[in-house]
Amino acid sequence: MAGISIKALSKSFGARDERLAAVSELDLEIKDNQFVTLLGPSGCGKTTTLRLIAGYIVPDAGTIHVDGKLLSAPGGVVPPDGRGMGMVFQNYAVWPHKTVFENVVFGLKLRKIPKHDARRKVAEALALVNLTGLEQRYPNELSGGQQQRVALARSLVVEPEILLLDEPLSNLDAKLRERMRTELKVLQRRTGITFVYVTHDQAEALALSDQIAVIHGGRLQQFGTPQEVYSRPANRLVADFMGLVNLVSGRVRDIRDGMGRVEIGNALAIDIALPAGTLVGDSVEVAIRPENIHLGKANGSQISAKVTDRTFLGNISEYYATLDSGQTLRVQTHPQQVFELNEPVTVEIDAAHCSVFRA
Amino acid sequence: MSVEAIGGSMRLSAPRPRLRLEHFVMGGTILALIILIVLPLLFLLFGSVRGDHGLNLNYFGEVISGRLYRQALFNSLILGAWTGLFSLAIGLVLAWAVSRTDVPGKTLIQITASLSYLSPPFLTAIAFVYLFSPNAGLINVFLRDVAGLPWLTFNIFSMTGLVLVTVLHTFPFVYLLASSALTSVDASYEEAAQILGASKIRTALSVTAPLVAPAILSGTLLAFVNAIALFGSQAIIGLPGRIVTLPTRIYALFDYPAEYGLASALSLIFVVITVAALYLQRAFLARRSYVTLAGKGARPQLIALGPARWFLFGFSVLAFLIAIVAPYTTLLAVSLSKSWGLAFWKGLTLDNYHFILVEYNVTQRAILNSLTLAIIAATLAVLLGAIIGWIDLRTRMPGRKLLDYTALIPLGLPGIVVAVALIQFWLAMPLALYGTMGILLLAYVGRYIPLGVRAANTSLRQIDPSLEESAQILGASWLTTMREITFPLIRPGLFAGWLLVFVPVIQELSASILLFSPTSITLAVAVYNLYETGAVERVGALAIINMLIIGAAIVVANKLGGGSITKANSAREVAA
Repeated sequence: MAGISIKALSKSFGARDERLAAVSELDLEIKDNQFVTLLGPSGCGKTTTLRLIAGYIVPDAGTIHVDGKLLSAPGGVVPPDGRGMGMVFQNYAVWPHKTVFENVVFGLKLRKIPKHDARRKVAEALALVNLTGLEQRYPNELSGGQQQRVALARSLVVEPEILLLDEPLSNLDAKLRERMRTELKVLQRRTGITFVYVTHDQAEALALSDQIAVIHGGRLQQFGTPQEVYSRPANRLVADFMGLVNLVSGRVRDIRDGMGRVEIGNALAIDIALPAGTLVGDSVEVAIRPENIHLGKANGSQISAKVTDRTFLGNISEYYATLDSGQTLRVQTHPQQVFELNEPVTVEIDAAHCSVFRA
Repeated sequence: MSVEAIGGSMRLSAPRPRLRLEHFVMGGTILALIILIVLPLLFLLFGSVRGDHGLNLNYFGEVISGRLYRQALFNSLILGAWTGLFSLAIGLVLAWAVSRTDVPGKTLIQITASLSYLSPPFLTAIAFVYLFSPNAGLINVFLRDVAGLPWLTFNIFSMTGLVLVTVLHTFPFVYLLASSALTSVDASYEEAAQILGASKIRTALSVTAPLVAPAILSGTLLAFVNAIALFGSQAIIGLPGRIVTLPTRIYALFDYPAEYGLASALSLIFVVITVAALYLQRAFLARRSYVTLAGKGARPQLIALGPARWFLFGFSVLAFLIAIVAPYTTLLAVSLSKSWGLAFWKGLTLDNYHFILVEYNVTQRAILNSLTLAIIAATLAVLLGAIIGWIDLRTRMPGRKLLDYTALIPLGLPGIVVAVALIQFWLAMPLALYGTMGILLLAYVGRYIPLGVRAANTSLRQIDPSLEESAQILGASWLTTMREITFPLIRPGLFAGWLLVFVPVIQELSASILLFSPTSITLAVAVYNLYETGAVERVGALAIINMLIIGAAIVVANKLGGGSITKANSAREVAA
């Protein structure tokens, strides 16, 4: 199996302006046998990164090594057909003029696998993705999910050490997407292949990955486990991208042993770890996830906010609580905890799960 | 630090860009374009300014001041203008009838347009001469001698006659572009105007017309460009009527002693006119993009014409009779008659076919030559087109856009100009290509390479690059990817493109007339030569053979490629 080592990788498409580069000075160490996700909004450079790994694109700067072997450098690249990787495309790219069998056996033919063995391997690959029996169908006779699995089988049958997946689930409907998600995860564990998976869906990334690389504006923002990326975002971009978050401005009132007291509005203050170098009086931004805010019935003097909007979502309820200062917090509560519109409430914030960024 | 060291040592074995098969194929294609297009054009340019003592503009001076040349230029422009105007009138009416009304017999209109587009224009011209030449034309003779209506006779050897015959070939350009534009304007645009209170007329003027006008103007300009480039009809109808045009004037300059310099200068002036018109056409078409966005899903608004639809139907039947029935039946009747005249039906015979197919070795050779040339030229044009299209769409090769533009240059070159350029180039080369089949092949491939590029482009655009990339990542080389994935997927489009080249090559006259030799004579040249000698009935037979070959090609290509000719010559193909 194989690990991928990416160093100072840059690529821009025609744009002179450095800031418009598709990928900029990207460093990434992908370990062997891992499920790694490149996560970011569309146009962030994640697909370019994947295509650089595949060898479709020559980098402007930086290198890509696989198992210590240099595959990409500005002077030239080992072409995709010499890399022994697999790739699953967003639009499946199942060849419409070949049957399911012909699609899957293609890579084996190129490797000159004897007919008998090839037949067996195709059968195994199709069984792995639950497509047994559809060998003679043409792609236009298959559903989107089935085509996706043909694409997977076609990549897996040649036993690549690295499988690249470019938003492979984005064209499927929600239910199928969830099922394929589970299947992919199981498949990766079972085969031990290194998966590099591109998506813009943070929920998908959280559910699937061993490691998530959050990319924004062509730069790596954070590389860590799903838990780290979600609850300890490296910056406000990551915090904002990884699910719902309230980004509220505050001011540091006091610092003691690295912990600071941050005042949000007039009546609300939290004690929280500060980034190094923060001084008393600094303006900061606090990232608070909606599930880490608890509303309570106001009892007289302890009022700190007012309910200004509410939405019942079934498994949770969502409230907007407006503070005295005018700042509004988005809050998620258990559906059985009910507040009325304009009801005064108390606000309690679980500071241990919040992050502070310097404004 | 150790990581750095590893990186450093690996750099030594950094993957070098290797020369692979595709690089040789790409290089070969570029070379082919240089030989087919760039060098002949440079020699044309050079030939027009080369004097006995260095470079000068004497030839241009003579061409611009000479009465004969100015007259030719003037006649060409008059012909183009009238043809454009009538093409617009006929094409637009038919297009509107098909796409926006409940006129009966829409298929008839479509057939009329397609066949008119595919028919060799010089054969139509010959057919009309046999009907309307002042002395011997069948209809004229009938009107004068039998019906006693001499004032009704019509002299085909006139500008009117020339415009008539040319329009029959060029109105489909307007028709195809206009009908595609009219069908792609979704009814919702017009309904939106009507619900706001606009009348039908107001809607047509303020919503529909601006949306489709660019396409219609562009079709008219294409009709203009094609009209002035047709050597055949201008020689057959113009010369007896003493209407000399640019192609026939250039042709005359090759009478002994050949005036290469003057011919080159006049050719370049011809090119300037054509290119200017095509530039305008592209500019108009570029403004059309918002119409095509609506795409195939558009649902056009139909108008119930009531009794007026029979008037329109009559018009389309008339178009069918004049454009298709008249020339085809005339040529068929001529070919079967012993002696063309009022009593032709008294002596029907197949002798003429026997003569041209069995007895006369010139026509035999011509048929064989044209078939060979058309098959090879169509294959080469499509292959080169496919590679150029692939380079343009699939690689990041520097200068690939330039390559694409170069391949489109021949669109602006009238056939006779291609011939002059090739003569200038190959006479200067140590290779004796002039007078061989080789130079005809170069002319055909060069002239019709844009059609190959366009067919390949259209097909390639419909194939997502990931289909090729997924073969590549599985380890397929360039050749394997092309053979297994790309080619099978674009094959129907390439067959359609092949046919689009084959059909004009088998009837090519404008360039062949200057390039042929007795051994390399082609079908169209043989028709023209027979016509010149006055062998009326045999011309008819050869013309019918020509038509049959075209028909057979269409049938075969449809069978093999699965695409239909009507699909192939859709508006986009004609205009792009």
